[in-house]
Amino acid sequence: MTPSVGRSVPRPDADPKVRGTAVYGVDFEIAGTMFASLVRSPVAAGRVVGLDTTAAAAMPGVRAVITPDQAPAHRSGLGLSDQPLFASPYISYEGEPLAGVVANTLENARQAARAVLVDIEEVPAIADVGAALADGARFIHTDWASFTPVPGLPDWRRYGNVCGELISDPGGVDEAFELADLVIEDRFEAGRQYQAYLEPKSASAVYESGRYTIHVSHQYPFNVRDRTARALGVRPSDIRVVGHHIGGGFGARLDVSLEPYAGLFARLIGAPVKLVNDRVEDMLSCNSRESAVIKVRSGVTRDGRIVAREYLCDMDSGAYATDTVFLISIPMFVAGSVYQVGPTRVVARAVYTNTAPSGAFRGVSGTYLYFALERHTDNLARAIGMDRRDFRMRNLMTDGQSMLNGQVLSDAGILETAFDAVEEMAPWASLGVGPNRGVGIAATVWLTNPAPGQVTLKLNEDGTLGVITAATENGSGAVAMGVRQIAADELGVDPSDVILTMPDTDGQGFDAGSQGSRTTHIVGRAVREAGADLRRQIVEAGAQLLEESTEDIEITDGMVRVKGRPHRRLSLADLAKGAMFRRGPLAATGSYATPIPKYDPESATGMLFPTFPTPTYHVHVAEVEVDPHTGQVTVLRYLVAQEVGRAINPQGILGQIQGGVAQGIGHALYETLEVGADGRYRQRSLEAYRMPIAPDVPRVEAALLEHPDEAGPYGAKGTAEPPIVPVAAAIANAIADATGGSINRVPITPEDVLEALDGAQDQIRGEEE
Amino acid sequence: MKLSFNVNQRDVTVDVDGAEPLLHVLRERLKLTGTKQGCDEGECGACTVLVDGRPVDSCILPAGVVAGRQIRTVESLAGPDGQLAAIQQSFVDRFAIQCGFCTPGFLMTLTALLEENPRPEETEIRGALSGNLCRCTGYSTIVDAALAATGDDQ
Ligand code: FES
Ligand code: FES
Repeated sequence: MTPSVGRSVPRPDADPKVRGTAVYGVDFEIAGTMFASLVRSPVAAGRVVGLDTTAAAAMPGVRAVITPDQAPAHRSGLGLSDQPLFASPYISYEGEPLAGVVANTLENARQAARAVLVDIEEVPAIADVGAALADGARFIHTDWASFTPVPGLPDWRRYGNVCGELISDPGGVDEAFELADLVIEDRFEAGRQYQAYLEPKSASAVYESGRYTIHVSHQYPFNVRDRTARALGVRPSDIRVVGHHIGGGFGARLDVSLEPYAGLFARLIGAPVKLVNDRVEDMLSCNSRESAVIKVRSGVTRDGRIVAREYLCDMDSGAYATDTVFLISIPMFVAGSVYQVGPTRVVARAVYTNTAPSGAFRGVSGTYLYFALERHTDNLARAIGMDRRDFRMRNLMTDGQSMLNGQVLSDAGILETAFDAVEEMAPWASLGVGPNRGVGIAATVWLTNPAPGQVTLKLNEDGTLGVITAATENGSGAVAMGVRQIAADELGVDPSDVILTMPDTDGQGFDAGSQGSRTTHIVGRAVREAGADLRRQIVEAGAQLLEESTEDIEITDGMVRVKGRPHRRLSLADLAKGAMFRRGPLAATGSYATPIPKYDPESATGMLFPTFPTPTYHVHVAEVEVDPHTGQVTVLRYLVAQEVGRAINPQGILGQIQGGVAQGIGHALYETLEVGADGRYRQRSLEAYRMPIAPDVPRVEAALLEHPDEAGPYGAKGTAEPPIVPVAAAIANAIADATGGSINRVPITPEDVLEALDGAQDQIRGEEE
Repeated sequence: MKLSFNVNQRDVTVDVDGAEPLLHVLRERLKLTGTKQGCDEGECGACTVLVDGRPVDSCILPAGVVAGRQIRTVESLAGPDGQLAAIQQSFVDRFAIQCGFCTPGFLMTLTALLEENPRPEETEIRGALSGNLCRCTGYSTIVDAALAATGDDQ
């Protein structure tokens, strides 16, 4: 049997997905279910002074109207316990749940939810980070000081509207700036980006025998378990989460959303309950990628060295702390990981505003942090009159250098290989030539999420291999391709004889979900651990059944054989059947978590996300054309060199690259949730929220660079998240090159392009005068 | 009101509310859940079905409009023996599916395109797909699958 690792084996879930038989979370219904809808706040800030449910309760089909007094009053959260289930009485964002309605149909529940009369005393919203940080700004949460971290997490520096702050100031930064020939300072802004998975969020729950069972399409079922338990004030083991096909997530399905409400309502009414977001409430309430403001200042020498740097970032956390208190560590990795820098100060803050809590979106914060870094890098090169690529090559990190957290990048030399790889695909000098054309280049270092996972492999009596894991197939193929192919090779069986389970937190060991490209690396490694154990058991059973000693037994091509006597053999099916009543069923469990790399805990304060484990290296090149009349941007060519460790399924990875680049193009050119002065989003439907469509996205040209990782299964590192990370940077640099102007925010609108062209004209005129 | 039409070669009569969208009738009353609801506002194309051979967003089409007409949904594509249609097989072979939530809509749009124009160019394919959002794939593999189904990719 040819090994399946390294081959582009089609995915097994493609068949039900093309037939329309795949059951997604939103399709799933518990028999006898009722439907619920949340009453959501129409304003961004205020106080609920009255809630009249009389009319709603009398609407057709209504079973119950759930009010805040029926819900636990405590706050809970992902890192900081600051979020109540219902705003009561203080409203902190538009779309915040105020009450719920349960009815016999979804339509009836939604209609009745609209009939709940809420009396609100509105107050002016704090719509952005600037307003939240202004002197004398109202505190979004007057009782912020009483909030506590979730159990197990030590508290960190928080004050007023700042819910988290990272400071890394190693000393010597100001002195190092003195040594620079030139100091360049830039300010950048990034808009909010909605994950816009095609399947709206939903949750179904039933309460039986004192336990909640929750059905959902979710990237991280064990987090649904833990977060729902904390929200409802019960034990994690009181919650069972069952996963279904996932219609996209991109990070938005890592934290809870509707699940605690489904559980609570099911308990309160004594019947199963299902909630489904309509698209508008999904957009309004989604944990979108946070907007941010970044300031970068660097000192350079005339010969092209970066000798000092300051990197400041304020992230808009929205009304609750959610992910941003972790994400404020990431500027530290971005500011000093791709290029060698002198002493560097990093200050990053997570800031409350009266907007929907932001959260994880593929490439968490890295997309805009690298946009800022790489735009700034272009500006540094220009300022000293050096070619942008040469300047980068001159400052590239190499093997054995350390990031700002003290973590050593033993293989950073791969960056140079990646620069060479894109050069081979299309020489830098040949791109962006001609009027209104430009080329941009961006390099990044990204991590593979280290969080734990577990797999049980069982040899079925028909010789097929069961893979029992709570790892989630969010569409990326990490389970359907990565885990499945790695498992097949453990016993030399065909991938079609590998049977994958759907997640169930009662039946499977812990898994940290599809985040940070961890699944193939972590779960694949757990498969290898389990495989070694299962093979040992198979050899023992084979020795018993074939009456040989274990040293003489081998497993080849899905058969158990006596070495040197190939006719003395058993199929895996016969072995499994034979072993069953002699020694019991054959199964083995493997677990894995990446050991946390060595780092310097003194390198920063407020560092809740202290390392970048299993780093991978990336270089992207974009060639664009701008229309000088309309400001429209066309991406002509897009090149990617991506280091992957080892490609388990090359087509699968190329699919992640193409999809990640498309999302990055959306981030760079179109997508934004703008917040009005009233704290409400301006884009309120998919019509207004412009996403890339088929004619917008070029065919990405990609090279996969293999540098097998010692710890990874067959050397595999994380691959699915990083393709989005450098895109905004590469495209922005290309547009700046095409226009000759400055591009300081994403998304880059046609107006920004025209302005950049005008600015460049003015500059030329100025120089001519 | 009573509404009769033909869906996937089967005549059906269902009770519908006045303004009920076709998507709701298909999913809730006829249990044809292969057609997906992504937005309910005519923007994502996940709900695309064919009405007399033309692709429409069934979420914004009042069901009454389809009285007496022929509807085709994703469930109709595979043959009676279960064999996948060429465009479905092409999606599987070309890795055109990730999460798959958009897939039924893309398949129906492409089925209509290929019936009208069996050899579309890439730009025509991309143009025809402008009403279908895919958040996962970045479209290229879907375009490849369509080209492969025309036999023009060799
Ligand atoms: S559900 Fe009909 S277009 Fe989105
Ligand atoms: S495959 Fe997920 S939206 Fe298209």
